[in-house]
Amino acid sequence: MQYVNAWRAVAAATGAADRSAAENGVRLAYRSAGLAEPDTIVWADSPRAAVEAVEKLIGAGRSVRDEVRTRPWADERRRTYDELGPAGWSALWSATGAQLWETTAALAERIRTGVVADLCERPEDESDVRLVLLDAVLGQHDAAWLAAFDGRGDRLTGLAEAARNAGWWWPYERAVVISERPVALHRDEAGRLDRGDGPALSYADGFALHAWRGMPVPAEFLAGLATLTPERIRGEENAELRRVMLEFYGYDRYLAESGAEPVHRDETGILWRIAMDGDEDVVMVEVVNSTPEPDGTHRTYWLRVPPGTRTAKDGVAWTFGLDGQAYAPVRQT
Amino acid sequence: MYRQGDVLIVELEESAVPAHLVAAPGELRDGRGRLVLALGEVTGHAHAVVGPGRLMREAGPFGPMLLHLPEGGRVVHEEHAVIPLPRGWFRVVRQREYAPGAVRIVAD
Repeated sequence: MQYVNAWRAVAAATGAADRSAAENGVRLAYRSAGLAEPDTIVWADSPRAAVEAVEKLIGAGRSVRDEVRTRPWADERRRTYDELGPAGWSALWSATGAQLWETTAALAERIRTGVVADLCERPEDESDVRLVLLDAVLGQHDAAWLAAFDGRGDRLTGLAEAARNAGWWWPYERAVVISERPVALHRDEAGRLDRGDGPALSYADGFALHAWRGMPVPAEFLAGLATLTPERIRGEENAELRRVMLEFYGYDRYLAESGAEPVHRDETGILWRIAMDGDEDVVMVEVVNSTPEPDGTHRTYWLRVPPGTRTAKDGVAWTFGLDGQAYAPVRQT
Repeated sequence: MYRQGDVLIVELEESAVPAHLVAAPGELRDGRGRLVLALGEVTGHAHAVVGPGRLMREAGPFGPMLLHLPEGGRVVHEEHAVIPLPRGWFRVVRQREYAPGAVRIVAD
């Protein structure tokens, strides 16, 4: 578990790379794989810039990603599996890598999508960029795998050292391109990219991703959120963007200003319904946090529930996968 | 049935627990010796159980998490009051939210 938390921090690390530590890690990874060290190491400010740098490499030779990363991992996984058995391996993975997998894999995929969108002016360019992205070692975003093997041998030390000190990197026979880490990363408590007033992820050269609670949004869309009105929210035709608008504006404010009436009220909370033109209704339960804030007030929050929900209790129960009759906490805080 | 923020803990009859889980190895504890039910990625605040017992991740009707407390325990969180739990087996459920076409977990 101590490894997981350290690797969780690596996955979320921002700021300038320790270039010499990262380069030492990369060189060690080559030696551990039985390869000669690369002649050239090129630094780039972002994964996007790194892809461009890779495309400009001359005489770098073939990709050695399989030798440097994939094979050592496969060997370590086999060795650990043989040592621990199926149940032991499964327990190790669930206590380590599995805890970081979802958030880091989602983040890496968003970065890939962002690089492709930024670099491909024509759809036919996409496969070239995707091919370069396949050669990447994910550095800090390989944290889930590295957490699982941490403390179990030294064969992956070079990969781990590179991951602790830099972003993605591209290993070729004679050259390596290494990307800096992001300069800013904003996430919500669930680990999703999330920022309402600027990029949720940004690199020194301006490559950036915008997202609201994990949902990708255009930069100019975020800029318009500050001046939202209920009319503009109702007029937005894209259902996903309208949801972001509603969340940003605040359900409570929207409900008050649009004159919505509560549909149902019981001991668990209040059920609200907002009719939407050409889309399913927005149905929400308003619940009060049982534990008081430090100032003694109770925080109220809204959770969206399926449109067919009839009572507040059914709505709260649904959020925990139960039906209303089964939901009966004897104690809540 | 007990609820701490976005985590619901539901009693389970021992006879309902699948045989392969009764003696399954549990998850590792965190650096403070706790069983972590849910962790906030940004604040690091956790819904966690203090006391002897095991936590198992299990997909399906008994999952996503199953908790066994042979002597009872306490659920703690940095922002919520402590909840004492009796001895026994529990199913642990994380709160979710409806989104058209998808379901999202709630960030407490």
